[in-house]
Amino acid sequence: MAYIVQLVVLGLLIGGVYVAVGVGFGLVWGVLNIVNLSHGALVIVGSYLTWKLFSSYGLDPFLSLPLDAALLFGIGYALQRLLINRVIRAPLLFTFLLTFGVNLVIINVLLFLFKSDFRSVTPSYAGAGLNLGPLVLPYTRLASLAIALLLAGILGLILGRTRTGLAIQAVGADRDAAQLVGIDLRHIYALTFGLGAACAGVAGGLIALIQAITPTAGEPYTLQAFVVVILGGLGRVSATVVGGLLFGLIEVFAQSIPGSGSVYANAIAFGLLVLVLVTRPQGLLGRKP
Amino acid sequence: MSTPERSSFTTRPDASGRRWRRIFLIIGAAVFVYALLAPLTSTDAAQAIGVPLLADRLWFRIATIIAMFAVMASAWNIIGGLTGYAAFGNVAFFGIGAYTTGMLIAKAKWPFFAALPAAPLASAAFATLIGVPLLRLRGHYFAVASLGTGVAVGEVIQNVDFRGHPVFGGSTGLFLPIVGRDITYFYLMVGAAVLTVAVTWWVLRSRFGYGLIAIRENEEAAAVMGVDTTAYKVSAFALAAALTGLAGGIFAQWNVFINQENVFPIEYNIQMILMALIGGAGTLFGPIIGAVLLQLLIQFLSGSLPISADIPFVPADARPVLAQVILGLLVVAVVVFVPRGVIDFFGGQSRLSLGYLRRSLRETSV
Amino acid sequence: MSAPVATAQLELQGVTKRFGGVAALDGVSFSCREGEILGIIGPNGAGKTTLLNCISGVHRLDAGDIRWRGESISGRPPHRIASLGIGRTFQVVKPFASMTVRENAAVGALFGSAEAHLPPKLAFQRADEVLELVGLAAKAALPVTALTIPDRKRLEVARAVATKPRLLLLDEVMAGLNHVEVDEALEMVRAVHATGVTIVLIEHVMRVIVGVCERAIVLHFGKLLAEGEPREVLRDRRVIEAYLGERYARQQEG
Repeated sequence: MAYIVQLVVLGLLIGGVYVAVGVGFGLVWGVLNIVNLSHGALVIVGSYLTWKLFSSYGLDPFLSLPLDAALLFGIGYALQRLLINRVIRAPLLFTFLLTFGVNLVIINVLLFLFKSDFRSVTPSYAGAGLNLGPLVLPYTRLASLAIALLLAGILGLILGRTRTGLAIQAVGADRDAAQLVGIDLRHIYALTFGLGAACAGVAGGLIALIQAITPTAGEPYTLQAFVVVILGGLGRVSATVVGGLLFGLIEVFAQSIPGSGSVYANAIAFGLLVLVLVTRPQGLLGRKP
Repeated sequence: MSTPERSSFTTRPDASGRRWRRIFLIIGAAVFVYALLAPLTSTDAAQAIGVPLLADRLWFRIATIIAMFAVMASAWNIIGGLTGYAAFGNVAFFGIGAYTTGMLIAKAKWPFFAALPAAPLASAAFATLIGVPLLRLRGHYFAVASLGTGVAVGEVIQNVDFRGHPVFGGSTGLFLPIVGRDITYFYLMVGAAVLTVAVTWWVLRSRFGYGLIAIRENEEAAAVMGVDTTAYKVSAFALAAALTGLAGGIFAQWNVFINQENVFPIEYNIQMILMALIGGAGTLFGPIIGAVLLQLLIQFLSGSLPISADIPFVPADARPVLAQVILGLLVVAVVVFVPRGVIDFFGGQSRLSLGYLRRSLRETSV
Repeated sequence: MSAPVATAQLELQGVTKRFGGVAALDGVSFSCREGEILGIIGPNGAGKTTLLNCISGVHRLDAGDIRWRGESISGRPPHRIASLGIGRTFQVVKPFASMTVRENAAVGALFGSAEAHLPPKLAFQRADEVLELVGLAAKAALPVTALTIPDRKRLEVARAVATKPRLLLLDEVMAGLNHVEVDEALEMVRAVHATGVTIVLIEHVMRVIVGVCERAIVLHFGKLLAEGEPREVLRDRRVIEAYLGERYARQQEG
């Protein structure tokens, strides 16, 4: 029994990362109808920024998160405004290919700059954790979960309570109607993508604390973000939160089965994806398509 | 007026377009015949005449790779170009074909020519299995689900083990005994490419092909007209898988070594799609042309071609990385500047002018 | 003139289709004899297109049954229904955009009912025949995208006729046509009917219903409101009320 609790707690902690990775992805997908294949790469860019600030300037990784958000917001806004806006009305295949191309470029630029060596961020408190009976909950992971939920909350607030957020929702609901009421589509599109990228940046910062990073380390996160959003249901931040936590739980329980291991990360994600899409495509909390 | 239509409804070029098409076809045929016969001449004789290239081992290694991609791009064309289901994970079938042949040769000690036919069969079987649920999905869902297939299959094959031993050779991979010479595999791969084109040609003029294109244009209308959409989609998928698997099987023996990295590389997915798009998805020869052009470019950038020049500021070991960057930028450029243009390859407008590019940009931008 | 009791070719019994909480069709029952021309009318949203979608297998029924020549066909996939000999057109035309007019029509002949399903060579011959029938023979080699809307509607009909149907479901073929075009379309429908095809057509243009239909049924909010000879149905108070409101109906009466 205690073992189960341990798994659940671990699952939730891991789920935190998935929440952070998923909310930005889901925002871009829900509003812009873009499945951003470079999402994982954007996450890793955030990771590298955190690592660089930590290793060169000793900046505490948690303090670098807002900087990650800012940098990635800028990158995301530029990407959307300059590139993606140009093909957004073309068939889906093209936005897909475009984001894949961006993914390729980002990863290889990172490879060029940082080589493929693994880097890690290990602040002084890295090993310490909260002792709860037999469980040891690393502080870093606890903080990650908290920050991920905070991030989701902030995103939800922005979307629901600010003028910009409402404009974003309007554009997501009906692009033409939004234009008719005077919303600048190009700007809002870019803003939305920027926000999604900012979330990716924060997720990257959190990931740098949890695993060693290398330019290709972001790849699995793209597929996982996709699964998280589908699992929870496309369209709402709260649904993605549920999806992320649930995905964390599933992963932990799947890997506790003897014989499997973290090497099957993608296979598990994919299997789950097909299962959900075939049985309940709207996810847990989504609306029926 | 009852002559049957020629089957090239996916491209219908105007008069000048037809002329260019004829010219290119003739040039292409000439190059092809040369490529086919040149390796048969001895190196000395070739160099005596001063005829370069294909008598050189390195070049027909490159040519074999080009043929391999020609097969993959053409095969993808059947499910992606003709049927309109842009699968993003077809490299899975390449890998399955490679491992099928590889395992039969390395572990079961089959001879190559018995092991090779098993490759397309295995790939087609897997495609049929996974195709039924997958092809029910549309748009993004299908694309990512198929991408996930490619990734997941590679992962499973590398990691699955039975009682502690990796079933498929794990990360160390599989080693095959060396059989035959490079030149054999060159002809085999080219043969596979010819087969793929022949199959596509047959499909385009058959009821099956019309059904696929009807599905692409309007699936609901196709169903109501009497097309069994599920059966047709899965068949197209399986056909594409079989041909891709064949290329994988040939590759396995040619390369004598396979592991997850060299038979399940994710980049292959994007390359085959890009090749089909650049050349003209939905056409007969488009993917071949795209394969030749793109692969030459990639090889040149990676520094693998004998004539590769030194690129300033880029050290030799960074060349592969640069190649990927350029590939990525190329993808971006093609998608941004020629999306409509690429579609118009379907419709036959082969005139690419600046005004045309500007107009197409306006149509797809927000 | 009493017709012998002909067995129903198409029979709907209690057909119900819901979308979310709304019943688009609610217990609709009627039947159609072989060789008949039946009209379906009703205000927008009455469920007419949904009815056709249910018959052609695009939607699954929530309740009720649809029988074709005595056999139940509800739940079968669209291509099976087509192979049984039921063809249809769409209200918003759905041509195969990258093909020519001739190829579009040929697709019907390549697939379609058991009587169709021709090999390519014969399919194209049949395509030429149906294009002649609908008046598009001169434009056979044009890409579909070059056609006007009325011509696209003709192509839609041609394609469906190429499947050699026994029953043809036409969904608002006359919509958006001017007076002259409606007359031409009427001729086309009569010509198709003359080859022995049963026709069920949804229309808003009453001239068509009165002009070509032997019987008409009226749908309103998913329910069958009235059934009978076109002129009588159009005089029915309930029908007038449905289309034009209660007050108008009362005004007409008194």
